[in-house]
Amino acid sequence: MLNSLTFLRTVPLLVLLGTVNVALGLANEPPPAEETGSVSLRLYQVEGSVPSDDPNSAVWSSIEGSEFKLAPQVHWPPRIQEVTVKSVKVKGVHNGQELAILVEYNDPTEDPADGAALEFMVGDKQAHFAHGQEMLQVEGGPVNIWFWKKETGNALDMSAKGFKNLKTQEKQNVQAKGVWENGTWKVVFSRSLITEDEQDVQIQPGEWRSVAFAFWDGAIVDGLVKEKGSQKAVSSWWYIRAEPSADNSIYVWVLFGLALAAAFELVIVRKLRKGQSA
Amino acid sequence: MKGPIFNGAIILVGVFVFLKFLLPLFTAPLPASLIYLYVALALSGIMIFGTMSASSLEAFMGPIYRFLSGKGQSGVGQMARLAVLVLFPLLVGWQTYTKLAPSDLPPAENRTIHPAPPGEFVGLSNPYPKVPENIMMGKGLYAAYCSPCHGANFDGKGPAAPGFNPPPANFSDPGTIAQLQESYLFWRIKKGGVGLPVEGMPWKSAMPRWEEELSDEFIWKIIMGEYDGAHQSPRTWEEEE
Repeated sequence: MLNSLTFLRTVPLLVLLGTVNVALGLANEPPPAEETGSVSLRLYQVEGSVPSDDPNSAVWSSIEGSEFKLAPQVHWPPRIQEVTVKSVKVKGVHNGQELAILVEYNDPTEDPADGAALEFMVGDKQAHFAHGQEMLQVEGGPVNIWFWKKETGNALDMSAKGFKNLKTQEKQNVQAKGVWENGTWKVVFSRSLITEDEQDVQIQPGEWRSVAFAFWDGAIVDGLVKEKGSQKAVSSWWYIRAEPSADNSIYVWVLFGLALAAAFELVIVRKLRKGQSA
Repeated sequence: MKGPIFNGAIILVGVFVFLKFLLPLFTAPLPASLIYLYVALALSGIMIFGTMSASSLEAFMGPIYRFLSGKGQSGVGQMARLAVLVLFPLLVGWQTYTKLAPSDLPPAENRTIHPAPPGEFVGLSNPYPKVPENIMMGKGLYAAYCSPCHGANFDGKGPAAPGFNPPPANFSDPGTIAQLQESYLFWRIKKGGVGLPVEGMPWKSAMPRWEEELSDEFIWKIIMGEYDGAHQSPRTWEEEE
């Protein structure tokens, strides 16, 4: 009795089960849209050079961006309760060698102390978003900070592991250019995807990395700079990934799967025909 | 169109319709993975039932074999067979594509919202009596230190709250402090986000490590003010009166 349940005879059942799986998979609804802003930043792959010194390049209007909400820095003193920059639009491109990231945010006035920074986890260890400060139960890693300030006109390539260890790196690998117009700052950061410096974040196309943002409104209010040092607008970690090159081997595998399934059918049908005519 | 296959198909469709459309009328919708599991179980049951004896096996599988072999078919039957034979490889190809296609979705995160506290914080009780003066003092401290994020109404909607990921806890939600003991809050306030274990993703939390700025007395009184203001009671192991 059980002999008749040969492997071949179970095949149509497996096919049926697989079909149910596929059908239910197709019936799945997409996850609900994120209401709190983006969760990741995609660095689009482009041909030719990246617009590293042009915040108004046509390249930027040709790609989709992400938007991240920002909060006042309240994690450690001196804190701030209200900040100027409440959200930031971010776009990114790379060409396999270089990357450029554009941050765009509202700031009503152009001031020398205005600043913007990107922060990245370095290596595989998770780092706290507040300068990679020490965590009590988890051994954290360092962070790499790209800090642009209006009055210097360029970016500093920095490292930190904890609040008191923020330092400017010996090897400076980051460039930045900012343009203020009609109450909006546009700042482009650029760097090689991969550097020789182990203190730097290495951005390998296809790999997910973690990024966070910080902004300072350097306006003078009552004779004092409104936001400086730890008094800034911040985000926690979000994801960033440089788009990998198109991988055409996937189509070879699809064809292979198709051919395999067709061959399988052929064998089954032939066996069945033989069995029935015997 | 009668026979075990037809019956089996009716049962499968019935199970799916029940789980997907009828059940959500009475309770929370089931996740698709669970529906798949139940449908697959029903299918396994139908198959075991249909292949239990040689005669039921023939009744169950015979039509499938005859359909696939294509013998003696004409018209609609032939077309249906052709359609199945063409669609199956296409489905396999489609499955292969969806499995291999590069995803733009970032890695999934499973943050444990209330991970276990370190041993030294388990079972501590609030050393200060719940008298109006202490509660008032706790509320005052809460207003000064906690409300910018957790909100003057204890609802997690303080002026500094938008933009935090994860968002500040909403204490008026019965799923937060009402589920916890006072000792748990003492740990979370004292050690902050950086005190969380790995499953709590300490690297994302903006909760300050208040032990560096507030005394234990202040923290215990804040806890008192928090429960009172949010109209919640701490979880306890003792019998309620």
